[in-house]
Amino acid sequence: MSDDTDPETGFYALPGDLMMWILIISELIVFGAGLMAFMAVRLTDPQGFTAAQGHLDATAAGINTIVLVTSGWLAALAQRAGAAGQVARVRLLLASAAALGALFLWIKMQEYAAKSAIGIDFETHPFFTFYYLLTGFHALHVVAGIVILALVGWKATPRNLEVGTAFWHMVDLVWVLLFPIIYLLR
Amino acid sequence: MTATQGWLALVILSGGSTLIAWWGGTGVLVALAILTLAWAKAQIVLNVYLGLSEAPGWSRGFALVLGLFMLGAMGLAVAAGAV
Repeated sequence: MSDDTDPETGFYALPGDLMMWILIISELIVFGAGLMAFMAVRLTDPQGFTAAQGHLDATAAGINTIVLVTSGWLAALAQRAGAAGQVARVRLLLASAAALGALFLWIKMQEYAAKSAIGIDFETHPFFTFYYLLTGFHALHVVAGIVILALVGWKATPRNLEVGTAFWHMVDLVWVLLFPIIYLLR
Repeated sequence: MTATQGWLALVILSGGSTLIAWWGGTGVLVALAILTLAWAKAQIVLNVYLGLSEAPGWSRGFALVLGLFMLGAMGLAVAAGAV
């Protein structure tokens, strides 16, 4: 029988809040299923998917990847500063992380606007149905993450920092899987 | 690995993925290379940013599930290349 208090495998071994991990795992399952569905449907029309993908700006998405992982790094530094009781530094780092999150969203909006300008929407091709669903759902998580970072900066306790930054890192994790599968695979 | 080392590794691996795309490579081997880089990035986020390196048992569990997901994605990428 498993022991919840085992320091290596028990629930208490997980860094941060158990409920946040349940949320993280739930989100990963949803995005993982979406990405696998994308890969499976791609089998029905590989050439069509590659042609549709040609309308995406992989460079902008690559820049967005750097923006988001840098934001995650700042959030990780904020968590460590929080553990050291450096509240002013925590707030500066979280504000910087949130600002990079906003930059990610701005670049994403430019990308959507460029698609819209040439008449690409949800129904143009199954590729774009997945593209809008997956990247749009991810962008909503970025919005939620920015709100959470702001709240955590306001109430900057070590526990709040651990939980709030874990959500932000989950957003990072989803993007590092979503970016290559949607934008780069041909 | 510290958070800063993890960030540097993520930037380098992300740059590698984007360079492959810029290079314009296609085919199964390129797809497998891109997915392998994504796999490495996900492991770094899990272990360094999310702190699973402090919980080895959970880290192994997440690594197993991530590995199954990535192998599934690689299998579908290979299948797409064969269509």
